[in-house]
Amino acid sequence: MIDSDTIVALATPSFESAIALIRVSGPGASVLATDILGNCPRPRQAHHGRYKDQDGTQIDDVLFCFFKGPHSYTGEDILEISCHGNPFIAQKIIDDLLSRGCEMAEPGEFTRRSFLNGKMDLSQAEAVMDLIRARSDRALETANRQLRGVLGKRITLLAERLLQVVAGIEAYIDFPEEGLPPESQKKHIENIASVAKETNKLLATSHYGNIVRDGVRTILIGEPNAGKSSLLNQLVGYDRAIVSPEPGTTRDFLEERYMLGPHCIRFLDTAGLHSGARSIEKLGIEKTVEQSADADIFLLVLDSTHPPPSLPDEIRDRMTSQNTLLVCNKSDLNELKEIPEEYSPFTRIKTSALDGSGLPELQDAIITLVESGRTAIGEDLIAISARHAHALSEVSQCLQSAQERLESEEPLELVASDLRSSLDNLGQITGRIDNEQMLDTLFSSFCIGK
Amino acid sequence: MQTHSSQFDVIVCGAGHAGIEAALAAARTGAKTLILSGNIDTIGQMSCNPAIGGIAKGNIVREVDALGGEMAVTADVTGIQFRLLNASKGPAVQAPRVQCDKKAYQFRMKHTLELQPNLQIFQATVTSLVFSKGKVVGCKTNLDLEFRAKTLVITTGTFLKALMHIGQNKNEGGRMGDHNAKTLSNSFIEAGIQLERLKTGTPPRLLGRTIDFSKMQEQKGDETPTLFGFYDTRGKEELFHVEQFGERKLGWKPGTDQVSCWITYTSPESKRIVTENLEKSAMYSGQISGTGPRYCPSIEDKYVRFKDKERHTLYLEPEGRNTDEYYINGLSTSLPFEVQNDLIHSIDGLEEAQILRPAYAVEYDFAPPTQLFPSLESRKVENLYFAGQINGTSGYEEAAGQGLIAGVNAARRARGEEPLILKRHEGYIGVMIDDLVTKGTREPYRMFTSRAEHRLLFNHSSAELRLLHHIEAMNLVPPARLDRIKDKLKQIEHWQLWLEKNTTAGGSWGDLIRRPHTEKELPKEFEAVSEPIKKEVLLRIAYKGYLEREKKQIKRLSEIEDTQLPKNINYLEIKGLKKESATKLEEARPVTLGQASRISGVNPSDIGILLVSLKKKTFKTD
Repeated sequence: MIDSDTIVALATPSFESAIALIRVSGPGASVLATDILGNCPRPRQAHHGRYKDQDGTQIDDVLFCFFKGPHSYTGEDILEISCHGNPFIAQKIIDDLLSRGCEMAEPGEFTRRSFLNGKMDLSQAEAVMDLIRARSDRALETANRQLRGVLGKRITLLAERLLQVVAGIEAYIDFPEEGLPPESQKKHIENIASVAKETNKLLATSHYGNIVRDGVRTILIGEPNAGKSSLLNQLVGYDRAIVSPEPGTTRDFLEERYMLGPHCIRFLDTAGLHSGARSIEKLGIEKTVEQSADADIFLLVLDSTHPPPSLPDEIRDRMTSQNTLLVCNKSDLNELKEIPEEYSPFTRIKTSALDGSGLPELQDAIITLVESGRTAIGEDLIAISARHAHALSEVSQCLQSAQERLESEEPLELVASDLRSSLDNLGQITGRIDNEQMLDTLFSSFCIGK
Repeated sequence: MQTHSSQFDVIVCGAGHAGIEAALAAARTGAKTLILSGNIDTIGQMSCNPAIGGIAKGNIVREVDALGGEMAVTADVTGIQFRLLNASKGPAVQAPRVQCDKKAYQFRMKHTLELQPNLQIFQATVTSLVFSKGKVVGCKTNLDLEFRAKTLVITTGTFLKALMHIGQNKNEGGRMGDHNAKTLSNSFIEAGIQLERLKTGTPPRLLGRTIDFSKMQEQKGDETPTLFGFYDTRGKEELFHVEQFGERKLGWKPGTDQVSCWITYTSPESKRIVTENLEKSAMYSGQISGTGPRYCPSIEDKYVRFKDKERHTLYLEPEGRNTDEYYINGLSTSLPFEVQNDLIHSIDGLEEAQILRPAYAVEYDFAPPTQLFPSLESRKVENLYFAGQINGTSGYEEAAGQGLIAGVNAARRARGEEPLILKRHEGYIGVMIDDLVTKGTREPYRMFTSRAEHRLLFNHSSAELRLLHHIEAMNLVPPARLDRIKDKLKQIEHWQLWLEKNTTAGGSWGDLIRRPHTEKELPKEFEAVSEPIKKEVLLRIAYKGYLEREKKQIKRLSEIEDTQLPKNINYLEIKGLKKESATKLEEARPVTLGQASRISGVNPSDIGILLVSLKKKTFKTD
């Protein structure tokens, strides 16, 4: 682990672009460079290398550029990493740097460090002060606007529920002899689990959590040899899936991430669904059913030359007009067979994986679905910032740890420590939840007083 | 008015739990000290429950012991029942609690003061303070005697304009049977120190032979007592010095002949009596204006606020070995005497009980502690220190902790030295004083473990280790003890490293210790180590991940925690700082940026701007 005073942030906007720049500043920058690259690059020279995460998995081909303090923007050691301009890749690298001990930079922190280290004269410093001021006010304004909306209500509710859980645990710790209701461990576990579930739900709707980190899970399903793999290859532009005219080639899963406009789409190609499958195929079909359980979008690929298949109930039940596109493939070969009544609500797109016709329409239809899918939760949630999402993911981790420790009957003070951490992190979104609030909740919920 | 011929370094006004520690700390760190009390027979009196310690409070007592105070040893040798609370919830939130013999405690404290070199005791009531050029220089007493000193410590507890309520009955006084300090409040007001009102209460005391204990549940003490004092470092020559080396015996071997407490419950009849007589309670009839503590509500409050709760737990606690008086914990009230009597008789086992002293509520002046520096010196009057209940706290332990700090600092000021300030991550005393001077309090302030953000570091047995650098820098303990503390720390660090480095089946010993719920057979060499060292080593290893998380946070915050704010910085003139924040800062005048960050309404961007202004030196001073 490196010094905690080392900060990291994405210096370029979080969009698809040619190059994304990640900047690390602080005393740990040179150690990090050495750890990742094998040796610290010579200052102010670009070095080409592979970015491997802590487990040794390669993330991307990148350029490293090292600046030795004080000859740098902030006056501290700086490491700049230029990677391919895919927000997903950039986020992976940032996640890895965080796990190596970096801290997420606060807004304006690079600039703040810069003038604290005498890299700016007085007039520049004053300009930056105004900037910080403006930024924080604007951030506050944005936060307030968000907090009045759907997101705010849900997060506030979450904070209140978490506060109740914390107050319950704290009451047990601080007032052990007050004859508190014998609320069982089970009840605490349930409460924590339910707050965690809600947190994860919120997290899953965030731009960062869903689109950048996980991508929109889009599953291709259909009969064997309907052309799902060929369609996927066409969509992502190169031969990723093995295609062959033999039905049932895809027995396991192929996954491909692809930027469609501003959205990261995670395509899952599945084994074909048909009855009378061989045992190895059956395994694949089971997996398809499993994967469908948390798919965001279904692409039901039909072979225009065949009558449409019937789907397993587990999959059919999850499909709605809000999340499903009917892709009538092989439109180059034949006229469309009649579509069964049950598929009629789905938007229909004719494609040919062979000649590529209908693909732009399919892409547009996917974008439309992704964007309309959000309206269910409200546009507010899209505005959730990376910082908020980062805080929520900390909340989620701490709650998980608290729950595990409660279940394995480890000391309550550790459970409490995790819970307090999650409350602090939630406080970064709702505004600091100070101890007085916790005590207010505690004293209004429990009859304390020997 | 006659002026006493001696000039003192420190005068301590009040000999309660804060005053005692203040006087001893001042005298022990070399100041010529005087302690004044209106009645020296009440030195160290436990006005409420005769118990010391408990959750978080017990940790404070151990911190007081680490810093060279007296409360721990006196509680240990006069204890009649010892219990370790929260034993199952983890080492950091465990705390010792001891039921003391109330009289023995007082006698031993008085005698400790009598034996203390550099310290003079005198019985007189302080009536006013003497000021000169914005500084305090002495005090006047009811005996027309004036005393002069370089510094003063005010530890007057609940005695300022104190008013006791039993139903509609009112008596002036800070404790039943004692006087009150009427005129001293005027001195504070004259000096520009604001005063506000608080309220607290105490339950009735009952005669033991009229109680039917057979209807109650017995609560015994622990077989092996957990003590407050650090006897492994205090060493034999200090251990129970009064008892073993003095002529007089004022105490007994801790843990011997323990006495039981008893548990009973209120009945449906009790509920009826209280709810039907609510309007007769001083609290509910609007007689009392002060704010009472939420954690220690009166029985009236409990029935009103928690209507669904059918019964409330009550604890009968003995007040000593040589008395049959019992304290009934959980039954604080300001109902009239006849109602109290009926209420007592409605309780299982108390049908025939006789009340020796009725319950009462007491209202008193306190000086909101936001008027203090973190050294506990007044911002308004130089050389004047405040400690204990006058600062709005509650509890003997909270008082003792502040008293010790105020005493050390008054003595240091008299010599022109820098004050002792404990940080929030160093111990409960640090948390308490920072809370008090930064945020103030709206109810009598009691310590809870949940007030401390770094409480995992505050396990009671680590107090000496956490505070070691202060103990050394401020000369708070004799050199031999200091050496032993240092040696203890060295051994702990050695074993910590050893267990992490050396391996056993399936990894290092450290990994084995961290695995929950496994039978741990530890290496023989380590098993031979003394118990306090072993415990601390095991805790540090088992909690490694959590403790590292705490330390990381502390380190991250150290930049702002350690940045001092210039004394007369003009916040209104700082460019970029919002007006509301500037006004709040002008009012609170924090000493460090860390303190500034905890003022409500001051947000992180304000702190950023302040930090910049400090580094760039663009601020102005008045």
